[in-house]
Amino acid sequence: MSIRFDSPLLGDGTTSPNHLSDIDSRALLLVTVGYIVVMLSVPVLNLGMLIWFAAYPVVMAPLSHLSYGRIFGRSLITLPFILLIGAMNPLFDQRVAMNIGGIEVSAGWISFISIIVRGLLSVQAALILISDRGFNGVCRAMGRLGLPSVLVTQLMMVSRYMQTLGEEALTMNRARRSRGYGRRNYPVKEWGRFIGQLLIRSVERGERINRAMVARGFNGTLPRNFGRVRSEHSWETNSTVFMLIWGVVLFCMRYFDVSAIFFSGY
Amino acid sequence: MHMADALVSPPVAIASGVVAAALLAVASRQVRKDTRPSLIPLMGVLGAFVFAAQMINFSIPGTGSSGHIIGGVLVAALVGPWAAFLTICSVLIIQCLVFADGGMLALGCNMINMAAVSTLLAYPFIYKPIARKSTKPWRLMLASVAACMVALEVGAFLVTVETEASGITALPMSTFLLFMLPIHLVIGLGEGLATGAVLSFVAASRPDLLISDKDYVGNLKSGKQAKKRLWPVLAAFCVVAIILGISYTWIASGDPDGLEWSIARVAGDAEMGSITPPTAIMPEYQNSFSGIVGATMVIILLWALTSLIVRHNDRRHRPATQKIVVKNDKH
Repeated sequence: MSIRFDSPLLGDGTTSPNHLSDIDSRALLLVTVGYIVVMLSVPVLNLGMLIWFAAYPVVMAPLSHLSYGRIFGRSLITLPFILLIGAMNPLFDQRVAMNIGGIEVSAGWISFISIIVRGLLSVQAALILISDRGFNGVCRAMGRLGLPSVLVTQLMMVSRYMQTLGEEALTMNRARRSRGYGRRNYPVKEWGRFIGQLLIRSVERGERINRAMVARGFNGTLPRNFGRVRSEHSWETNSTVFMLIWGVVLFCMRYFDVSAIFFSGY
Repeated sequence: MHMADALVSPPVAIASGVVAAALLAVASRQVRKDTRPSLIPLMGVLGAFVFAAQMINFSIPGTGSSGHIIGGVLVAALVGPWAAFLTICSVLIIQCLVFADGGMLALGCNMINMAAVSTLLAYPFIYKPIARKSTKPWRLMLASVAACMVALEVGAFLVTVETEASGITALPMSTFLLFMLPIHLVIGLGEGLATGAVLSFVAASRPDLLISDKDYVGNLKSGKQAKKRLWPVLAAFCVVAIILGISYTWIASGDPDGLEWSIARVAGDAEMGSITPPTAIMPEYQNSFSGIVGATMVIILLWALTSLIVRHNDRRHRPATQKIVVKNDKH
């Protein structure tokens, strides 16, 4: 996975004002968590019910001005791990679960596909949330939902210090190249010193930043409205309606067989 | 070792989530009491450091898990166990939310397997007794290797137990353990050597960064008062977790599937046998292929419709100034 320490997702997100802008971040976070819990509670072998849960990302992505194709593409990054989770199921579970035109499909294959779908859908839901609100927005929503302020501050600090660490690593690498005269291989024992040096340099820079922050009134905890942006002011009726609609939709998808309602004649 | 959402069932996720939340509450209270001025930047930098270190992944074939260093022992040696727990948890939250590494529902499991085991178990019970007050490299190395190996093994064991309790994969527990334990023993050894090397360097150049006995004893003393009040809360959380897990499993097993429910409603219980194809030996798992295809088609249609409506709405509500700019451009 390629990682960018200055990823806009670690800030306030990438999207412009959209159809979800007026929805409170807490409502969006709660609906996302609720969706993942309900979707994962579908029995592994009930693929027909699980497919309906794809409705959430395909509706939410356009509403958030995001390309679903892009979200789908990004969620594929996790596919190798998810594939490994289910790879053994077709071997270990060979009971017949479905019959397609005379071809018997084993329960292992059904559960294998089901695991892939579940993994992709849960990642897509999280990606839509973080792309729309950004990491800071989600942190603030968690703080307003009661997450300890120490943890919220720590989360925001880690995301900021990633850039500091990256810069220090680049500086060290530049120094190594200019003094190494083309040398590329270093013995293993040198790596302990490199990494230790990187840690100490980053800590010292972090301490300098912290002293500057303390001098400007920082008391160890970021204020709750730090960097607050759109849709984080107060809970309005549309947030309640948004939660109710998704609550009803998820309940229906989980406890009613929607396929049977639509395709009972087939 | 990050568990994905697809690997955990809701009862296991909720139970582990409650335990992790209780530990987070205790850790937050402990850290708030800590008066060390350098604690906040140290936790931030160490979080970023561990985040970068955890990017180096080893896939474990056939198990769906990946191996990498955890960094819990290293962080605990520099900021103490509770602050380290909070630091590793913050890294796990960022990985889950921003980089899709580990799931939102599996967060509780991951916090227990990686953060709690290494910082609250391996550090105080393995690392501290071996390292004692010494800053000698060989002692730091020995303590780090032992603590990291134990942390990785216990973490890997818990991943297996949680996976089996979830019942998502068909992989037998013995086979799963056979995959997980040996590879994590090797990863633990590697992490131990790396941790030992870094701590030796820190002890030589900035010994003040290693958590001193004064800090440690201070934390324990202030923790004693809190312990009396926190133990009932912790115990209550554990009881709630167990009750939730058991009751959810009971409710889940008692409920019919949506498919069963609707077939029973549409055709009646007596006709269940007649609509089940003769080849199906597991009628409760029967999937309708036409239903799956139909559902997929509806989802694609839903996506197309939502995109069209949103685009149409945006075009209608586009500010008038933009239209004027376009007109001016033509001239």
